[in-house]
Amino acid sequence: MAGNLMERANDILERAILAAAEFQECNQEQTDKIVEAVYRAALNARIKLAKMAVEETGIGIWEDKVWKNVIGTQLVYENIKDEKTVGVISRDQVTGISEIAQPLGPIFAVTPVTNPTSTAIYKILICLKTRNPVIISAHRNAARSTGEAARICYEAALAAGAPEDCIQMIPAGSRDFTQTVMGHPGVALILATGGTGLVKAAYSSGNPAIGVGPGNVPVFIDESADIPYAISSIIKSKTFDNGTVCASEQSVIVEEKIADQVRKEFERQYCYFLSHEEAKKVEKIAIVKDSMSMSPFIVGQSVATIAEKAGITVPEGTKILLAELSGVGKEHLLSVEILAPILAFYTAKDYHSAIKLCIDLNYLGGIGHSAGIYANDEHRVMEFSQLINAGRIVVNTPTSQGAVGGTYNMLPPSLTLGCGTGGKNITTENITVKHLINIQRVCSRKMNDRFFSVDRAKYMDENCDETVLRYEYHKNH
Amino acid sequence: MFDFDFDPDEKMLTCTFKGRIDTIISSQLSAELESKYISHSENKDKESPLEFGIVFDLKEVNFISSSFIRLCVAAKKRVKDGRFSIRNSDPFIKKTLKIAGLDEILNVT
Repeated sequence: MAGNLMERANDILERAILAAAEFQECNQEQTDKIVEAVYRAALNARIKLAKMAVEETGIGIWEDKVWKNVIGTQLVYENIKDEKTVGVISRDQVTGISEIAQPLGPIFAVTPVTNPTSTAIYKILICLKTRNPVIISAHRNAARSTGEAARICYEAALAAGAPEDCIQMIPAGSRDFTQTVMGHPGVALILATGGTGLVKAAYSSGNPAIGVGPGNVPVFIDESADIPYAISSIIKSKTFDNGTVCASEQSVIVEEKIADQVRKEFERQYCYFLSHEEAKKVEKIAIVKDSMSMSPFIVGQSVATIAEKAGITVPEGTKILLAELSGVGKEHLLSVEILAPILAFYTAKDYHSAIKLCIDLNYLGGIGHSAGIYANDEHRVMEFSQLINAGRIVVNTPTSQGAVGGTYNMLPPSLTLGCGTGGKNITTENITVKHLINIQRVCSRKMNDRFFSVDRAKYMDENCDETVLRYEYHKNH
Repeated sequence: MFDFDFDPDEKMLTCTFKGRIDTIISSQLSAELESKYISHSENKDKESPLEFGIVFDLKEVNFISSSFIRLCVAAKKRVKDGRFSIRNSDPFIKKTLKIAGLDEILNVT
């Protein structure tokens, strides 16, 4: 069986390597033509793919999936289309350093069940823009929609002159096979978006990997914030695609003095605070106690479905379920990441206690991901940001849309968000084309006059200490 | 700079600190803490666990050095059943202890 897996992996990688070799021949113009063709085809298929994804996975809302597809196609395209990714990409006469972009080779891209088409298209676009063939591994519950997205992109790419096999899919559902391909020496880079297990597998494969994992996004509403605006923004974000974005708000933290006002505002805007008993019922269906992780059965489900599963009654039209918690961790299971319209709500006695709660939540499975703050006090924004370990701290902005970039701020639009070393990632940036090229630096001879003007003998003289050598180095001639 | 309050009913020694606890202050503090522990303990042996709990109150502390963190860990080891906690920590101090992976062990609030 193992031999068979390896043979199949070899076949896929051989094709990908040939595609990589052919791709190397493409110039910027040809590359851009391919990317444009793929973008057009994918954008035109945004609605069909969105509906297909919801139908297949039973997760999320198709209208929001359309938006995700727009982000993954149009916004990503507009962001990368003018980037230089082929050949000489920069020349600096002052430093004498020129940069040449080289493709990496076959990229193994793993896509999640929550964004099966948008993440696939986004990864295809950034791989093609950098002349890297891509091998897509879809989630087993989203293989059909991810496959359709890949097929549409592949056909458009071929028609625009892309090399054969520049986009391949591996059959979904076999963990062993996925791991075999991941560890194949022909893979240049793994682009893994998904849960902790997947990211760990990617990093353990022996191949370079950009793996980005889960979040647990705390949102602090400061007393200086515009509260009705903050609540409406949080609702817009947490209800987006039924909360499936990993950057969506997971907990709201407020000081005691504004807690009532915030509670009333949530209620006024059709959110529902669960009683202690109701929260326990929701906890039971939403969290797998042993692993302290969300249940896959509630991911991307509507409030109505969650309420029904939990056996509770909530007013019709309720947008978000809020659970008031008094702590963080295993005694308070709703404090973990839940990709559904369920929010934890914390009241802290003062500002410092609130921030400390945010730190605890941040460290509960979401290190390095994203955080949000609503405040009109710049000092507090900066203090909060320094205390939270997050790649993106979005201010007065819905976190789902804000962290993904391209809409509410100028972050590069991306469906793979780096979480830094805290999240076992190599970067805190939003992953985009610059992460998928090897940059060669051609360095013209430019003598360091300061270094060469120092009398060599002084370096060999025991009597010359740092003071002397510093003076010599910085002396103006 | 340091204030000690022993509650015999609760069997709890509360140590309140102020200002900046750097390496030098921590070294002074080390001896002072030990003498307080011994003075309230029925057992005068340094190796025996203390029969009361210890709380470090950091309400008015704005900096701690790694030496102070060692004192916290040492205090935690000295008390019986781990009855040690740090309260009123500044968010920056909380983060320091979080990064060190000690916030749960030292019951930081």
